[in-house]
Amino acid sequence: MSQQNPPFYSDEQTVPETPDPGSAPKSWSRTSMVGRRQPRVDGYELVSGKAVFPSDISLPGMLYGSVLRSPHPNAIVKNLDTRAAEQMPGVRAILTGKNPEANIVWSYPGDVKSMLFESHCRFEGEAIAAVAAENSYQAGDALRAIKVEFEVLPATVDELKALQAGAPRIHDGGNRTKPPESYQRGEVSRGFTQADVILEHTYRTECEIHTPLERHGCVAKWNRDRLTVWQSTQGVYRIQSQVSSILGMPLSKVRIIGQYMGGGFGSKLQADKETIIAALLAKKTGRPVKLFMSREETFIAAGNRPPTNMRLKAGVKKDGTLTALDFTCVATGGAYPAGGTSGVDWQIKDLYQCPNVRTELSDVYTNACPSRPFRAPGHPQGSWALEQMMDALAEEIGMDPVALRLKNIPAVSQARSGNPPYTSTGLRQCLIEGAKSFGWREARRAIASSDKDRNWRKGVGVASGTWVAGAGGPPSTIIVKLFPDGSVNLNMGASDIGTGTRTVMALVVSEELGVRPDLIDIDNADTATTQYATPSGGSKTVPTESPAVRAAAIHVKQQLLAMAAEELKEKAASLTMKGGTILSLNDPSKKIKVTDVAGLKKQGIIVGIGYRNPNPANRATNPFAAQFCEVEVNIKTGEVRILRFLSANDSGRVMSRLTYDSQVIGGITMGIGFAMMEARILDRNQTGKIVSGNWHDYKIPTAMDVPADIVSVPIDLPDNEANTTGAKGLGEPVTIPTAAVIANAIYNATGIRLASTPVSPVMLRRALAAKAKETSQKDELK
Amino acid sequence: MTMPNFTYIRPKSLKETFQHLSAGNARIHAGGTDLLGCLRDGVFTTEKVVSITRIDELKRVERLKDGSFRIGALTTITELANHPLIKERYPALAQAALEVASPQLRNQGTVGGNLCQKPRCWYYRGEFNCTRKGGARCFAILGENQYHCVLGGRGCYIVHPSDLAPVLMAYGASIEITGAGGTKKIPIDKLLVLPEQAITRETALAPDEVLTAVLLPPMAQGSRSSYRKVRARGSWDFALAGVALALRFYEGKVTSAKIVLSGAAPIPWRCPDSEKIITGQSLNDEIIARAAAAAMREARPMQYNEYKIELFKGLITEELAAYK
Ligand SMILES: Cc1cc2nc3c(=O)[nH]c(=O)nc-3n(C[C@H](O)[C@H](O)[C@H](O)COP(=O)(O)OP(=O)(O)OC[C@H]3O[C@@H](n4cnc5c(N)ncnc54)[C@H](O)[C@@H]3O)c2cc1C
Repeated sequence: MSQQNPPFYSDEQTVPETPDPGSAPKSWSRTSMVGRRQPRVDGYELVSGKAVFPSDISLPGMLYGSVLRSPHPNAIVKNLDTRAAEQMPGVRAILTGKNPEANIVWSYPGDVKSMLFESHCRFEGEAIAAVAAENSYQAGDALRAIKVEFEVLPATVDELKALQAGAPRIHDGGNRTKPPESYQRGEVSRGFTQADVILEHTYRTECEIHTPLERHGCVAKWNRDRLTVWQSTQGVYRIQSQVSSILGMPLSKVRIIGQYMGGGFGSKLQADKETIIAALLAKKTGRPVKLFMSREETFIAAGNRPPTNMRLKAGVKKDGTLTALDFTCVATGGAYPAGGTSGVDWQIKDLYQCPNVRTELSDVYTNACPSRPFRAPGHPQGSWALEQMMDALAEEIGMDPVALRLKNIPAVSQARSGNPPYTSTGLRQCLIEGAKSFGWREARRAIASSDKDRNWRKGVGVASGTWVAGAGGPPSTIIVKLFPDGSVNLNMGASDIGTGTRTVMALVVSEELGVRPDLIDIDNADTATTQYATPSGGSKTVPTESPAVRAAAIHVKQQLLAMAAEELKEKAASLTMKGGTILSLNDPSKKIKVTDVAGLKKQGIIVGIGYRNPNPANRATNPFAAQFCEVEVNIKTGEVRILRFLSANDSGRVMSRLTYDSQVIGGITMGIGFAMMEARILDRNQTGKIVSGNWHDYKIPTAMDVPADIVSVPIDLPDNEANTTGAKGLGEPVTIPTAAVIANAIYNATGIRLASTPVSPVMLRRALAAKAKETSQKDELK
Repeated sequence: MTMPNFTYIRPKSLKETFQHLSAGNARIHAGGTDLLGCLRDGVFTTEKVVSITRIDELKRVERLKDGSFRIGALTTITELANHPLIKERYPALAQAALEVASPQLRNQGTVGGNLCQKPRCWYYRGEFNCTRKGGARCFAILGENQYHCVLGGRGCYIVHPSDLAPVLMAYGASIEITGAGGTKKIPIDKLLVLPEQAITRETALAPDEVLTAVLLPPMAQGSRSSYRKVRARGSWDFALAGVALALRFYEGKVTSAKIVLSGAAPIPWRCPDSEKIITGQSLNDEIIARAAAAAMREARPMQYNEYKIELFKGLITEELAAYK
C-alpha cells in the first residue's frame, strides 16, 4: 500500500462531523471549502467554448424553424396563404392554426386562453405560423412569402390610456386583468395625522427587456414516441411538465436537456410557444428542428419587466419614525395576464417598520408583449419610488439618509400574516458596514463643501432593499456518487443559469467529503439523468439545493464510514475523514484510505441521496441589501458618470466568494442599465409598434458605463435557523436598490428628483430645464 | 429576419467596379458594417453587392506636397484614430474616430462607409414605410422623436449619424469622387444633402460613383480643434449631440471659426451666426453664451426633442469655454 493519500482529495482537509443516520447535521462552525475564492469549476469549458449550450446543438438532418409574427399590436388574421411558401426551395413544413395538431390552446394565469397560433393578435410579435426549412435563410425566405391579410384594429399600448373611458378593449371583459388589488395594515389616515412631514410624489419606471446573451429557443428531436428537447432554460423539469401536458405525453417520454444555458433573468422559467412549435415541426418532418428566436424577436415575444406608474405618499415624525405609507401603482403585463404589478409593493410593505400601510395595484392590459418574471419582479420598480421617498423624507426632517433607514429596521415581516420574525436580518449591518466601507460621512461632507461652479458635480446616494423570496425550500433531490477510486460525481436537476451553481455545489460536496472541488464531476439539468428540481429563479437555487447537496454528501459519508467501521472494528460515530483517509478519533493507528474500503470496492459505488427539508414554520427568511454610489453629473449636458459603487449584502452564509462578488457586480451592472438607459419604446401615438427593438436602440450598459470601482461587502451571517447551509438568496437583492441609489446620488449632486427612468441625458436635460424654469419663476415672484 | 438573397462580387479595379455599378440595382460594400445591417433589416434590397475591398489604392493615407492629407476611402476608423500624423495635426478627427461605435466596428468600418452610412432613425430602420423609403409619411413628426433633428428637417427628420463628418466639415475637407467618367473633387458640404434637396438620399453620389478619398487641407498656424460627443451610453452609441470646433487664434483673439454640430440636423450642421459672434473676439462668458444661443436660434423642436436645444447650448458653452 502506498503512503500517499488518494488523488482527488485535499491533503489537510478534515471534514465536518458526520451525523448519525436520521439526525440533522450541525451547522458548520468553520468551513474549509465553503465560502472560499474558488474559480469556477467549469471555467475551462465556459471560456474555451467547449461547453455545449442548446444553441450550439447541431444534429444530422436537422432543419431550421422560424416563426411568422404579427407586425401589428392589434389585428385579426383574415386570411393566411401559404401556397407560395410551400413551393419554395428547402421548405419542409409549414404549420398554422389550421393544422389539427397545432390547434392547441395556450393558457395564461387566471384561466385566460389564446391559441398557439392566434388569429386575434393582441401584441406585435404574436405567433401566426411557422416553417421548417433546410437552412435558416430558406426558412426566412419562406416566411416572407406567406401572405397574410390583416384587419388592423386600433391598439392601446399606454397603460394609463387603457384605463380611460372609451379606450379600445383588449379583451371582452375590459382592460383590467383583475380588480385592483389592495393591501392594508393600520390606518394610513391616522398615520398621516401623526406625521410631522408628509410628502407625496409620482414615479415611473420604463419597461425593461431581459436580453440574455443566449437567445430563447431549443432543438427538438423525436425518436418514435419519445421527445428530446435541448432547451435554453432555467428549469428543465418545469419545461418537461409543460410540454407533457400540452402535447398529452407521459413525463417519461419527454426529455429536456439544458445543462448549459446563456442567461435568462426570469424569461426562461417557462416553455415558450417555440418549444411546442419546434416539437410539432420535428414530428411533422421526421427530422430534428432547431428553433431559436432572432435577437429582434426576443424584444417582442420573450417577456419583459412591466413598466410602472406609481404614487407614494409618506409620513414621518421629526425623529425619523415612519408613520404611514400610501402607495398606488398602475402597471401592465401586456396583452395577457402576466403579473404586471407582481411584487411592486413588497418594499413598501416589508422593508421598513411602519404601522400604517396601504397599497393598491392595478394591472392593466395593453397591446404589448406579455411580461415574464424579471430579476426580482416588481422590486426595483417599488424601490425606485420608496427609496427616493426615504431620501426626500430624510432631507425634509434634516436627518442623514442612512440614519433614517436605521431608525426604521423591522424585526418581523410585517406584510406576512402573523408577523413572523425573520430567521435573520442583516439590514442594520448592511447599512452600517456599507456606510463605513464606502466612507459615507466623509463623502457627504466633501460634497457639501465642494465647488458649485464646476459643470461636473459630484453626489452620493444610498438605498436599501429586501427580496420577498430567497429562502428556497423543498422539493429537491440530489444524488452524490462515490466511485471506488475515490472520485465523486454530483448529480442535480438544477440549472446553472450563469450564476455559478455548479461551483457552489462542488464546494458543498468538497466540504463534506474532502474531495477537491475542481475534480468533482457534475451532471445537471437533464430530466432523463438527473433528479427533480424546481427552476433556478427567485434567488433560491443556492438555499434550495445546497442543503440537499449537503445531505447527499453526508449520506455518502454515512455509508462509507459504516463500511470502514466494520473493517476497522470501530464505531462509525468515532470515525472521521482527512485527505481521503478515514481515521479513528480514538485510536490514531486505526485508519484506512477511501480507496481501500473493501465494501466500496465490492459494491462498486456508494450512492448518497439528499433531500431538501422544509423551512422552519412561522418564520420569514429573506435577504437584505444596502448599496451606495458616487456619481458625477454634468449640469450643462445632463451626462452622468458613475464613479463608484458599493453593495453590502446579507444573504446568509457566503457560500463562494468569487461567485458572490460576481452576482454583486452583475446586479449593479443590470441596475445601472435599468436606471440609466434601458427602455422598451413603443410608437405610442401612432402604430404602437416597438421602435427600440434591437440591441442598438435598446441600450444595455457597456464596460464603459460600469465603474471599475465596485466593492462587495458581504455581511457573512450564516442563517442556521433557515437551513443546514445557512445560505439565503443573492442574485436578485443585488439589483433591487441599484436604480434608486443612482437617483439619490444624482439628487445629491444636482437637487433634482427624478420621476422616471431611464436617467439618460435626455431625461436629465429635461429635468435641468424644468428646474431652471422653476427657479426663474420663483425669482420673479421675489 | 434573415438576410435575403443577393449576388456578391469583388472586383480588382475601380474600372470593373463601375461596370457592375452602372448595370444597376447594385450596392457598394466596404466594411459592410452598415450595409449588411440595412439588408438584413430590410431597409432596402439589392441584387448585387459590389465589394471594393480588393482595391488597394483606396487604402492609403498620404501626405501630399502642399501639406494636405489624402485619406483613402477604405482607411478603417481605427487606422484613422491611430495615425500619428492625423493625431498630431487633426486631433479632433482622431478624437471623433475614437468616439465612433465600438472597437470591433472601428476595426471593420471604413471612412468612406462612415460618410455614406444610412441614418439611424428607428422608423427608417424599422418596419415603417417612411418618406425616406419612398413612403408618404414621416413617422417621427407625430411619433417617438426624442432623437430626431431640431434643425434642417423637412418631410424627414433624421439626424446625420456620422461623427467624422462634422469634424471633416469643420476642417474644410473635400471629397474625391470617381466615376466611369473620371475623378472630381467637391467640398464635403456638397456631399451630404438635406431632405429638402433629396429626401431618399443622404449623399450627392450617383449610384455608379465611388467615394475614393477624403482630402484634408493643411492646418494653418494657430489652429486648434476638438470634437465632443454626448450620448446615452459610454460606447457603441451615436451622438445625442456633438460639436466639432476648428478655431484659429492670433494674440488671444479668434481669427476664424468653424462650429459644426452632430445630432442636430440631417447633415452636420454649421453654425455661421455663432462663428461670426466669436470671430475677432477673445472668448469670454458673455460672448460664448451669445454664440451658444445663436446656434439654436432657428431650432424647431418636436414633441420629445426640445431638450436638445438646451443640451446644445450647454455643450457649445462648455466646449468653447475650454478655449478661454
Ligand atoms: C452598432 C453601430 C454603431 C455605430 N456607431 C457609430 C457612431 O457612434 N458614430 C459614427 O460615426 N458611426 C457609427 N456607426 C457607423 C459606422 O461607423 C459605419 O457603419 C461604418 O463606418 C461604415 O463603414 P463600412 O466600411 O462598414 O461601410 P459599409 O457598410 O460597407 O457601407 C456603408 C454604406 O456606404 C456605402 N459606401 C461604402 N463605401 C463607399 C464608397 N467608398 N463610396 C461610395 N459608397 C460607399 C455603401 O454602399 C453603404 O450604403 C455605427 C455602426 C453600427 C453598426
